[in-house]
Amino acid sequence: MASVRALTIADVYDRFVKGKKVPESDWDYTIIPQKLTELKNKYKLDFGDKIIPEDKKTMNDLFAAGLEMLVETGFYCTDLGRVMKVTEEEVWDGIKKTPTKLILGEGKDIARFYPRRGNSPVKPIIQGGPTGSPISEDIFVQVMQSYAQEAVVDDLVNGVMTTYQGHPAKTKTPYEILATMAELRATKEARIRAGRPGLGV
Amino acid sequence: MDNSGMSMIAGWYLARDVIMMEQMPIFGGYCGGVEETAICDVATMLASFALFDCDIHLDGPIHIRWGITTTRETLQIAAHAAAAIDLNSDLLLANQYYTLAGPCTEMCLLEVSAQSMTDTASGRELVSGSASSKGVVKDMTTGMEARVMGEVAEATAGMEVSEVNKILDKVLGLYKGQYSKPPMGKRFQDCYDLKSNTPTYEHMKVYDKAMETLRECGLNI
Repeated sequence: MASVRALTIADVYDRFVKGKKVPESDWDYTIIPQKLTELKNKYKLDFGDKIIPEDKKTMNDLFAAGLEMLVETGFYCTDLGRVMKVTEEEVWDGIKKTPTKLILGEGKDIARFYPRRGNSPVKPIIQGGPTGSPISEDIFVQVMQSYAQEAVVDDLVNGVMTTYQGHPAKTKTPYEILATMAELRATKEARIRAGRPGLGV
Repeated sequence: MDNSGMSMIAGWYLARDVIMMEQMPIFGGYCGGVEETAICDVATMLASFALFDCDIHLDGPIHIRWGITTTRETLQIAAHAAAAIDLNSDLLLANQYYTLAGPCTEMCLLEVSAQSMTDTASGRELVSGSASSKGVVKDMTTGMEARVMGEVAEATAGMEVSEVNKILDKVLGLYKGQYSKPPMGKRFQDCYDLKSNTPTYEHMKVYDKAMETLRECGLNI
């Protein structure tokens, strides 16, 4: 059972409401880029030509820079136009109280998550799917089945059904919800056809 | 974050759902270069766990020019951000895949392979893909990309990171010259047999060629 973190979503909303009013353009064009440049220089970050870091100093410096960025700059709410602040202690509390083990799926088809720590010999969980790509209604089951039937796949991610009974699944119309529910039904059918009905989605 | 996002989190939290929070930092956007975008990526990942009840974070550094996650710069951002958090916590980290090339092309499978090597060797717990053809063209994704993503992850897990970096340089060199004219590839209907729901012979040949190329680059697959 996960512990309650230092800040609930209601705390976060309340903090946004009381936060400093900042125009979105200031946040995007001035506050964020200036602070990032300052932190890059402060920690002397230069990734060079290595895609994956091989030295712990770079990793630790980047972590410290990211933590400082969050604590010093805060987080922006685009609807309220306000910035909330969070302390370093609250961030660490969130890190410590986040679950480090999770199970997705049901029955024989579950996928178990554990922290891998570096390039562990244990492979990551393989989540197969169109990752939000647009998929035709008439082949949606077959496309999702093509992922579910791959032995190396542990978990699924949906595509987006472009129509519902021929009607475009437009945002902010009933067809958006109808198509989403049809996606879930089609994905269930795809898992059954692949012989893996308990795969997580 | 906006108000709708916070309202949805409240619902998921009360339902005791597992919350996967997605964020895709843009390389070349407001953040700027590789290091700056990686700092922002780390900050936002930490915020997801500390502020928004996230259980698994789904990353996806994306290139402002090409709209994909498989460029050298975006892989470098993803790898550094993941390794930084992995070294300092036990948080569960994921990454998502957006390739430039379409299905049934070697370039698409090599893009997926490069990212899978990167994500696996930098300590991520989940890889999610793939949105081929930038995830914007209808019916341009197939299970074959997930097969390659998984098999490459299996082959990479446990390798020395310095060795993975060497192989990555070779694989990236094979497709970076094709950004301006990537192969479009084929729709699902045109590279899978819809009766048996299996890849066509042509699709399997493309897969075999990509595996051969990866072996030539040094991956034991």
